[in-house]
Amino acid sequence: MLVMAECKASAACWPTRPDLSTDLRLGLSLSTSLSSSSSLQAAESIPSMPRNQVLLSWPPIKPFLRSALAASASRRRRQQTLFVKVYMEGLPIGRKLDLLLLDGYDSLLVKLCNMFKTPITYADVYQQQVPGVKAAHFLTYEDQDGDWMMVGDVPWNLFLTSVKKIRITRTDKC
Amino acid sequence: MTYFPEEVVEHIFSFLPGQHDRNTVSLVCKVWYEIERLSRRTVFVGNCYAVRPERVVLRFPNMRALTVKGKPHFADFNLVPPDWGGYAAPWIEAAARGCVGLEELRMKRMVVTDESLELLAKTFPRFRALILISCEGFSTDGLAAIASHCKLLRELDLQENEVEDRGPRWLSCFPDSCTSLVSLNFACIKGEVNAGSLERLVARSPNLRSLRLNRSVPVDTLSKILMRTPNLEDLGTGNLADDFQTESYIRLALAFDKCKMLRSLSGFWDASPFCLPFIYPVCAQLTGLNLSYAPTLDSSDLTKMISHCVKLQRLWVLDCIADKGLQVVASSCKDLQELRVFPSDFYIAGYSPVTEEGLVAISLGCQKLSSLLYFCHQMTNAALITIAKNCPNFTRFRLCILEPGKPDAMTNQPLDEGFGAIVRECKGLRRLSISGLLTDKVFMYIGTYAKELEMLSIAFAGDSDAGMMHVMKGCKNLRKLEIRDSPFGDAALLENVAKYETMRSLWMSSCNVTEKGCQVLASKMPMLNVEVINELDENNEMDENHGGLPKVDKLYVYRTTAGGRDDAPNFVKIL
Repeated sequence: MLVMAECKASAACWPTRPDLSTDLRLGLSLSTSLSSSSSLQAAESIPSMPRNQVLLSWPPIKPFLRSALAASASRRRRQQTLFVKVYMEGLPIGRKLDLLLLDGYDSLLVKLCNMFKTPITYADVYQQQVPGVKAAHFLTYEDQDGDWMMVGDVPWNLFLTSVKKIRITRTDKC
Repeated sequence: MTYFPEEVVEHIFSFLPGQHDRNTVSLVCKVWYEIERLSRRTVFVGNCYAVRPERVVLRFPNMRALTVKGKPHFADFNLVPPDWGGYAAPWIEAAARGCVGLEELRMKRMVVTDESLELLAKTFPRFRALILISCEGFSTDGLAAIASHCKLLRELDLQENEVEDRGPRWLSCFPDSCTSLVSLNFACIKGEVNAGSLERLVARSPNLRSLRLNRSVPVDTLSKILMRTPNLEDLGTGNLADDFQTESYIRLALAFDKCKMLRSLSGFWDASPFCLPFIYPVCAQLTGLNLSYAPTLDSSDLTKMISHCVKLQRLWVLDCIADKGLQVVASSCKDLQELRVFPSDFYIAGYSPVTEEGLVAISLGCQKLSSLLYFCHQMTNAALITIAKNCPNFTRFRLCILEPGKPDAMTNQPLDEGFGAIVRECKGLRRLSISGLLTDKVFMYIGTYAKELEMLSIAFAGDSDAGMMHVMKGCKNLRKLEIRDSPFGDAALLENVAKYETMRSLWMSSCNVTEKGCQVLASKMPMLNVEVINELDENNEMDENHGGLPKVDKLYVYRTTAGGRDDAPNFVKIL
């Protein structure tokens, strides 16, 4: 829901990697596409078919083209990778990680903790102040504008479209 | 005229351009009716249920070419349930009994079986052309029968059919004596074909002008074939998706260089951008180009290629081309007459790289544009008004804004004014599809100005019955009206019942029509078939009732001389 609202406001916030965003939204849009935006209220006020039927009959393209494009999209999704550099503060040598192999922030955290052998936390968890778990590091990333941001604020799919580098920062520095 | 010899009258009739005129002269007197019917060679049946096949064959025993269309257009978008009907068998069987001179058969949206294809192949000794479009129900075994038995076959054209694959044997069934092929299109066949058989078939077909391969044909086979067909005018490529060895690309370039007559290219299934430069040399001579199966090509790949295609008249492309790509089209393709831009990402609230700006650019650059199909995610009234002024020659205008009910992207207003400008300026408009946020006002404009309109497609539009009534009242030449998800009910349906007799068909799905309204229509107009299609679905039972009566899920109304059909499934009620 958040993603759709943000991107209705300005087309500029859509990333300049159209292939990737297309494929990511294949996962994103099935659940949100019919529930967001005021312009869709017009459609919803009209008696309409059950949702699963609307998706097969709209947009009005022939089945041949529809299945060709769907097959093509899933083929491209499987071939795509998103390798980003990961640096841990204090270590001069970084690692590389394919983010498309992960399915969310939790798996990112698990993967990085394994890679760097240290407990790491990110925005959501950090704010919760979990007692007993005092991580020495937390996760930040560089986005397309070159700004360093806290990992975890935006939905995973949106994060994937804007992340350029990841940096594991020391808690006491922030 | 009474003493005019029949042969002379028949000769005069042979100058009549179309079926419509021949139908008219048939009405003059009995003598003319007889002369006309016995000399009619081409018969077109727009709705297979409008007339009984036996009656057609009886009236035109000497017909050579028959075209029959089955399911309504919205079947293309999965709106017609499977097993609804549209069976080819009665037509082929009737022709087999009464018209053995048949040479050509064209069928669209029909259910064709292997048995029918075998009957076809074995019955008509002079059979030479089979064209099947958006059909289903047959397998490659049926094609094998055609290949084996139709000794004079010139055309086998399979467009977007659902064909069950039973192996590559069918292509090898063309006998060595078959040298008459002019057109072969098997792009929709899913399975592999034997490359050797294909090459040999092409080698013994000196008249081959149109060849459309399927995606299994390797690039080297394509190169070999092209070396043998210097007179080829229309080509659908095979596999250009993989990354090939350099030699393969060079062979391909050499092969294309031989094809000086090539005018039309299609295929490009998931084509790799690496193959495009090898095709550039042919681009300057192309009049038709279909790249709609290549989501692998991005905007710069597409524009580099299209900028070479200066003679292009017909372009089908995905929206990956983006607005800036359409600007290149506008400046390069001055002869463009038909443009289709399909959505590469078809989830509703997704992102589409083409907007109203691309279309405005096209309208400025391509003054000859007359046919448009454009999928985009936003449009404005201002753009549509500009487009209408720039291109008053539109005969077909289909705009699909991907999000149903979306307003003008700048003003948030309905798009009534924009479409109003289109119908006002384009006086020759015959086909129109509208989308976006639309009130009854747009229908008032359509009814007032779209006097030549023959086909209208409406989705998620209008406020009340008045909308549909405007169209039914004003569009004198309307033949096909198809409506989905719009608030038109019984009052609109019943406002002008006599008009349905002048039309081929009406389709309404997910509207506000009730069964009572349909029954009234059926009782007033006995020469119509009023088909109520209600699929049994738990969800539907929960729908609100209008006036306490169940709403009709799908309604299909068509004029007919054949009465109710006896092949309807149990979910279709014919009133």
